Amino acid sequence: MITLESVTKTYKTGTVALKDVSMEVSKGEFIFLVGASGAGKSTLMALILREELPDEGRIWVAGRNLANLPRWRVPYLRRNIGCVFQDFRLLPTKTVFENVAFALQVIGRPRHQIERQVTQVLDLVGLADKTNNMPDELSGGEQQRVAIARAFVNRPLILIADEPTGNLDPSTSKDIVQLLDRINKSGTTVVVATHDANIVDTMRKRVIELDNGEIVRDQNRGVYDVDIGNSSGVSARDLVAHSRGRKG
Amino acid sequence: MTIAAVLTVAISLSLVGAALFLRQGVSNATTEWRHGVNVIVWFHPSSSVTEQGAVGDELTQLTYVKSCAYRTQTYNYDQGKQFFQSLLGSASGAMTPSDTPASDQCVLKNPNEAAAIAARFTNMPGVLNVSYPSKAIHNMENVTHIAQLSFLIVALILLISALALIINTIRLAIFSRRKEVSVMKLVGATNWFIRVPFMLEGLVQGLIGALVAVAVVSILNWQLDSASAGNTLSTLYKMRLAGGELAFILVAILLIGVVIGALGSAFAVRRFLDT
Ligand SMILES: Nc1ncnc2c1ncn2[C@@H]1O[C@H](COP(=O)(O)OP(=O)(O)OP(=O)(O)O)[C@@H](O)[C@H]1O
Ligand SMILES: [Mg+2]
Repeated sequence: MITLESVTKTYKTGTVALKDVSMEVSKGEFIFLVGASGAGKSTLMALILREELPDEGRIWVAGRNLANLPRWRVPYLRRNIGCVFQDFRLLPTKTVFENVAFALQVIGRPRHQIERQVTQVLDLVGLADKTNNMPDELSGGEQQRVAIARAFVNRPLILIADEPTGNLDPSTSKDIVQLLDRINKSGTTVVVATHDANIVDTMRKRVIELDNGEIVRDQNRGVYDVDIGNSSGVSARDLVAHSRGRKG
Repeated sequence: MTIAAVLTVAISLSLVGAALFLRQGVSNATTEWRHGVNVIVWFHPSSSVTEQGAVGDELTQLTYVKSCAYRTQTYNYDQGKQFFQSLLGSASGAMTPSDTPASDQCVLKNPNEAAAIAARFTNMPGVLNVSYPSKAIHNMENVTHIAQLSFLIVALILLISALALIINTIRLAIFSRRKEVSVMKLVGATNWFIRVPFMLEGLVQGLIGALVAVAVVSILNWQLDSASAGNTLSTLYKMRLAGGELAFILVAILLIGVVIGALGSAFAVRRFLDT
């Protein structure tokens, strides 16, 4: 579903955000992307969304080689990728229903389909009773559910979330990640970048750790911090060497 | 902001329209003089038929005179009455047909010879005076050229300001909707889907401005009609545009308005909406 081959990304400022990164995410996988601030997690997501282009290496998303994707096709790529951010990015002047419907309106979906799919997805995220509320009448967790509903309403192949629980308390964070897990179970590939050790450790999904733009760990059923979570004393480097052989 | 843009388009296009109008109108009004009568020899009301005949013969014998038409006292009286009526609202009671001069109205092969004819005939027996409007035409054309040119220069400056105002309005519109735009990009709206509303906004501003200008120019033409009050001799009447000429100017105004709107919004969208 997502393949990176020796990807290097250097920003105009000279910062090398990703160095020779190779990884493969299969259809239906759920992965956590972890690493210190500035490690390159958001950059990786921008590359998947084709907001940025790599300097070296190749990227395939949903079967498309992004280097060969003409500019006018980029919107059609994005229709396959749902996006969720730390700051929700809801439109404050639209109701919950309108915010979610907006995502379908602007890609030209017919009205009856919008009505049906928005109702369905709001049901899925547990906001069926808040459809006519404005975003500022909702808690942070509820706002993030609206954002997830908007990202998922078009049933994308991939859902990527950049620190989706960054503004939420631990119990709300857990609910949000469980919602993402439910979406993943429906077949959508989910990539979550996070600093939240708690949710990574409870979910025990595949974990890819970036450090200074390089992948230093790729671990199945992984934890947030390998030195705490892995009592057997296996180092991060060993785990990388180990996981490189795995079939994605 | 929007109103400023629309108003500037309207004012500048009204000026463009007025300049085109003036150009066509003056050309219409002077056609008759240029291709019609070049010299008028007025006869003393008391001149004899022989005197008038001698002048007429001499005129037609000159090689640079193409043709002459004799106007009787009654004819000139009627024309004059009409003219004064339209000017003063009533016919002057002081004039009678027998006070009015008869005339020979001549078309010259070379209108520049008008002055020579005037010099030659003014002192002939029976001649009251000789008038030739070509100098007046020349002056009028000079004045209208200057007026047209100033109209067009001011209009050009205003059109550029209108363009800048439209660009700025669209820039502000993009800025105020930047959240919507970023969500639209995120969920995969096409570039054209995002751009078209802004493009239309600029286009509509140009179009509304142009429609106001079209109204202004139409009113101008209509005013000309009512000011000349059907007096077929007055310059204002002769300046009236034929339907086709007016339509051409109005279509030109609309086109310029639409082009300005499209140009401004296309630039703003390219520059400020990085899709
Ligand atoms: N648009 C940009 N222009 C220049 N440098 C950038 C840009 N975006 C990110 N960087 C730099 O690239 C590096 C990686 O940034 P990135 O945002 O990918 O990190 P991150 O892992 O998402 O960090 P965080 O956990 O704080 O969100 C950082 O050094 C950052 O300063
Ligand atoms: Mg980040």
